[in-house]
Amino acid sequence: MADPLLSSLKIAASGLQAQSTRMRIVSENIANAQTTGTTPGSDPYQRKMVSFQSELDRVSGAQMVSVDKVGRDDTPFILESDPGNPAANADGYVKMPNVRMLVEMADMREANRSYEANIQVVKQAREIINMTIDLLRS
Amino acid sequence: MIPAIGASLPRIQTGSVDAGLATTGATAAPQGAGADFSAVLSQIAKDAVTTVQSAEATSIRGINGQATTQAVVEAVMEAERTLQTAVSIRDKAVSAYMELSRMAI
Repeated sequence: MADPLLSSLKIAASGLQAQSTRMRIVSENIANAQTTGTTPGSDPYQRKMVSFQSELDRVSGAQMVSVDKVGRDDTPFILESDPGNPAANADGYVKMPNVRMLVEMADMREANRSYEANIQVVKQAREIINMTIDLLRS
Repeated sequence: MIPAIGASLPRIQTGSVDAGLATTGATAAPQGAGADFSAVLSQIAKDAVTTVQSAEATSIRGINGQATTQAVVEAVMEAERTLQTAVSIRDKAVSAYMELSRMAI
């Protein structure tokens, strides 16, 4: 049986990893918020979504978290009238990505909060471990 | 720096201390335990060296952009913890020997 405190550290580290991946996906969405297709009528950038799964660490028996898959958001694209755009279709409409800034900002803030929570777990576990080691001194 | 922990402790010669005590005839079991204890200490020192080395390797990979920030921090923290534990145990062992050497005969 592995040390539960060390397991907490590892689990929190896996949480940090997962939230960083989420952050990466959010930044991809925001960076590609204006990315249209290259040929007339082609599809633009499709918003990505990240989903997590719990994963059993066989060494310690702890439930870690990992990124399950990066899926695509199937909500319809936003049509904008822009006849001069190379990606405009026959009617002069351009398909814009289905990225909504408000949603991305909320998602980013949530990733930030979860990251902070995991950092807090690391801090606490470390403090407890140090307190225990300090028993040897004194 | 760390090998000094493992290298210096055997030189304290636990064997002779145990042998001296063994003449009282009641310390057969502690003699075996003493040998085990120095083995444990050198094992801890070896583990500490390995952990610090892997932390250094991870740090270098982090600088090169091959390891994540979290991995680097985790490895360095583990090295710090291992070193701290090793130092605490060494201090405890050394203070025990000091206690023995100050014993009034």
